[in-house]
Amino acid sequence: MAEVYIIGQILGASDFPNKSLFCKWSIHAGGGWKLISGVKEGQTQIDDPAFGNFTCWCHPVDIHYATKGPQGWPKIHVQVYHYDKYGRSEIYGYGFCHIPLSPGTHKLECYTWRPVGTLHEEFRRYFLGGGIQLRSIDLIYSSSDRYRLQTEAMGTVHMEFSVILRNFTKYGVEI
Amino acid sequence: MSLSPPENGFLITVIGQIEMADFPDFDNIYCKYCFVYGSDWELISGIEEGISQVSRKSQDNRKIFILNFPLEICFKSTNPYGWPRIVLSIYGLDSFGNDVIRGYGMYHLPVISGKCTKIISTFVPASSSLLQQMTSWLTGRKPEYIDSRVLAYGDGREVTRVISQGKVWIMFNVMIKDMRKFGFDNIQRNEIPTNVI
Repeated sequence: MAEVYIIGQILGASDFPNKSLFCKWSIHAGGGWKLISGVKEGQTQIDDPAFGNFTCWCHPVDIHYATKGPQGWPKIHVQVYHYDKYGRSEIYGYGFCHIPLSPGTHKLECYTWRPVGTLHEEFRRYFLGGGIQLRSIDLIYSSSDRYRLQTEAMGTVHMEFSVILRNFTKYGVEI
Repeated sequence: MSLSPPENGFLITVIGQIEMADFPDFDNIYCKYCFVYGSDWELISGIEEGISQVSRKSQDNRKIFILNFPLEICFKSTNPYGWPRIVLSIYGLDSFGNDVIRGYGMYHLPVISGKCTKIISTFVPASSSLLQQMTSWLTGRKPEYIDSRVLAYGDGREVTRVISQGKVWIMFNVMIKDMRKFGFDNIQRNEIPTNVI
């Protein structure tokens, strides 16, 4: 079986309306993929930068997968939350990124979006915070059922992953 | 590092330096580093932990701290899982001469051969309550991690709140040996350029 190593970190986020943020992340791979070692989901620290507009999470990712084929290549999806001064957290953005297919170090920028509700819901959100959330998280990385959503642009999550492949060339894969 | 082919594993040699740091609010800093690696990894040569000199901020308008601190290390492994990470803890002296934490940072060593410079954002843990914030302001003792190695692992992060401040520049030169021989491919391919309209 061919093996994929994903080593890197979720660096942080920028361009969100507020800087005090944290992120829940998870790596999703298809059925033919087997997780050999590493953690495939987690939550970052809550960072409130002293200056600048870059929220630093510095969250390490180190995963080893074995696979029979490239179908269902892993993707990472993120849910960015804002942590306010009252200790509440509200959703700020959803997004996903594919892990690059080619070996080497890659800087990834994951552009995020949030669902927009009705006028009443948006009015509530504006004054009270909160806002609407996705009920099924699958929607972040699946292409079905998206057409019913209305979304708004949010900030960017920055990641840096290094990919090491093993035994792909043995099976004739040209990488 | 011996150049004879190792029977069991590939080697990664890293030489580099902690070049400089930028901490706008402080006047002096020093830096501790340590390497954290997985169970399949073995240290071949070099020093796993180190501590730099106390550096004072430059007088010109760059306002940076030059550390110019060398890193030389060599690891051996059979499995890239648990790839070595460098954990930085930046301390500074306050006006009473106490050591106060100024920033923590973490970075994976590059997985590809070559030279690169990385800018690492650092952060300090925040006080967990208003009362602790008051006491830390009065006593001058800031919250810090008991063991900075926890930064190399992602678990348990959800309970920590941090304030990010400052940056550290690290330059790495990496040489990797025998990774190809064990079937690993870590050669960097060029990205197909974005078409600019």
